Amino acid sequence: MIDVRKDFPILEKEVYGKRLVYLDSAATTQKPSCVINAISEFYRSGNSNIHRGVHYLSEVSSERYEKAREKVSDFIGARNSSEVVFTAGTTDSINQVACSLRPVLAGNEVLITGVEHHSNIVPWQMAGATLKAIQMDDDCNVLIDSMEITDRTKLVAINHASNVLGSVNDIKEITEIAKDHDVPVLVDAAQSVQHVPIDVKDVDCDFLAFSGHKMYAGTGVGVLYVSERFNDLLPARGGGGMVDKVTLEKTTYLDPPQRYEAGTPNIAGAISMGVAVDYVQNIGMDKIKEHEHEVYSYARERLLEMDGVTVYGNTDEMCGAISFNIEGVHHYDAGLIMDKMGIAVRTGHHCAQPLMRSLGIEGTVRASFALYSTKEDADMLVEGIEKVRVLHA
Amino acid sequence: MIDAVQDEIIKEFEGLEWFDKYELLISSAKQVETMAEEFRIEENSISGCQSKVWIRSYINDGKLHFEYDGDAMITKGIISLVLRVLNDRYPQEILDTDLYFIEAIGLKSNLSPARADGLASIIRRIKEIAEAEYSGI
Repeated sequence: MIDVRKDFPILEKEVYGKRLVYLDSAATTQKPSCVINAISEFYRSGNSNIHRGVHYLSEVSSERYEKAREKVSDFIGARNSSEVVFTAGTTDSINQVACSLRPVLAGNEVLITGVEHHSNIVPWQMAGATLKAIQMDDDCNVLIDSMEITDRTKLVAINHASNVLGSVNDIKEITEIAKDHDVPVLVDAAQSVQHVPIDVKDVDCDFLAFSGHKMYAGTGVGVLYVSERFNDLLPARGGGGMVDKVTLEKTTYLDPPQRYEAGTPNIAGAISMGVAVDYVQNIGMDKIKEHEHEVYSYARERLLEMDGVTVYGNTDEMCGAISFNIEGVHHYDAGLIMDKMGIAVRTGHHCAQPLMRSLGIEGTVRASFALYSTKEDADMLVEGIEKVRVLHA
Repeated sequence: MIDAVQDEIIKEFEGLEWFDKYELLISSAKQVETMAEEFRIEENSISGCQSKVWIRSYINDGKLHFEYDGDAMITKGIISLVLRVLNDRYPQEILDTDLYFIEAIGLKSNLSPARADGLASIIRRIKEIAEAEYSGI
């Protein structure tokens, strides 16, 4: 077990006079002091635009921004840091791919799973594609063997881990099948990159999207990994910083990653992401995975032991989120009551309405974990559920 | 008259811990008659709530009568309080009422956008209905 709680100042906070039990890390993780300090430090003594100025501050700022890119590149095992594009977050990353691939996707199909959040559904529909979901079993696990790729399938877009169920998909196997059919693969790693090690070379996907704020960095920054294979992808956005030559007749673009980063990026955010990567790598992703697995399994077991509590999802590899409902209790009531105990959980459909429909429910209570979560947090969750029940008795 | 009801509610909640407040709301919700299935339709539902809420109304002797239901008990309990104040009143009275009891009993956070706009949407709907009836007269 690792003990890093002291690194996260917010975890000292009391809510309604109670110890904060933060179980909403799938929505956003809390930030360690090193990340908070880096953001503050940037604005205090480093603030300057990048890649434009000849002056000292601009050079230092550019260097730190590019250093962060290298760190992220190393973190996900990219071949080259030019494959790492800074975006505004997972949703932005996916939207950019949808926009760039629109000419191919319009009128064709994107293969997804039935456990996607809206960010991996809506952009494809907006690009004019029809969505097909890979079949699932009763626990909403993706049945990879039933993957059906046709001539009209132009992309496979799948999450690595579900933001609702915590179930982890075998992205390597899915990618292999797609590759056999020459179909590119986008992996939405928003709910996995902070929990389990990922190596894009090993997975061999074409795109990988994730958010900084869900992996201990600041908000408003994310990553889109674009494999070298897509070096000449059409940029989704045009403007300053991404062009080579501009005339009124024609514009040529810079090479990746600059060609995908029009305008002034979230510099402080990107720098905070580099610091967050350093932070998790100093602890070690394997250690984090092990620690979280222990807490996660413990919480899941405790919930499964409770009569009248339905826990959704069940597979060999799970991480991050656990969704459940308490018999006879609306999830919103449960969330409100637990809030007053200092327990922060999320309630509702979690931006995954198709999955809720598959489960035949309106919503769930979701407890989600991060590297600072402990078994005591899980015990408090159980206590919270018990209190909810007393109130409904 | 309306203020008297509000003051009465404030008195009932006085000195209660949050646990007891929620218990009181849940027990109030349990006493609300379930709305017939045929009325629990999209047309009567209120959007902006994390939980589902249905409200319908009709005029009786110039006064507005509201029927409602909801799937979350705390929300339903709060609506039961709001309608204890506003039910069977003239539209003008409803429009003129400042629901100060909500803040006084410590449920103001339920009005905030952070709570998915739930209660605020419900009150808005009630006032819209009153407004429509008022201008219709």
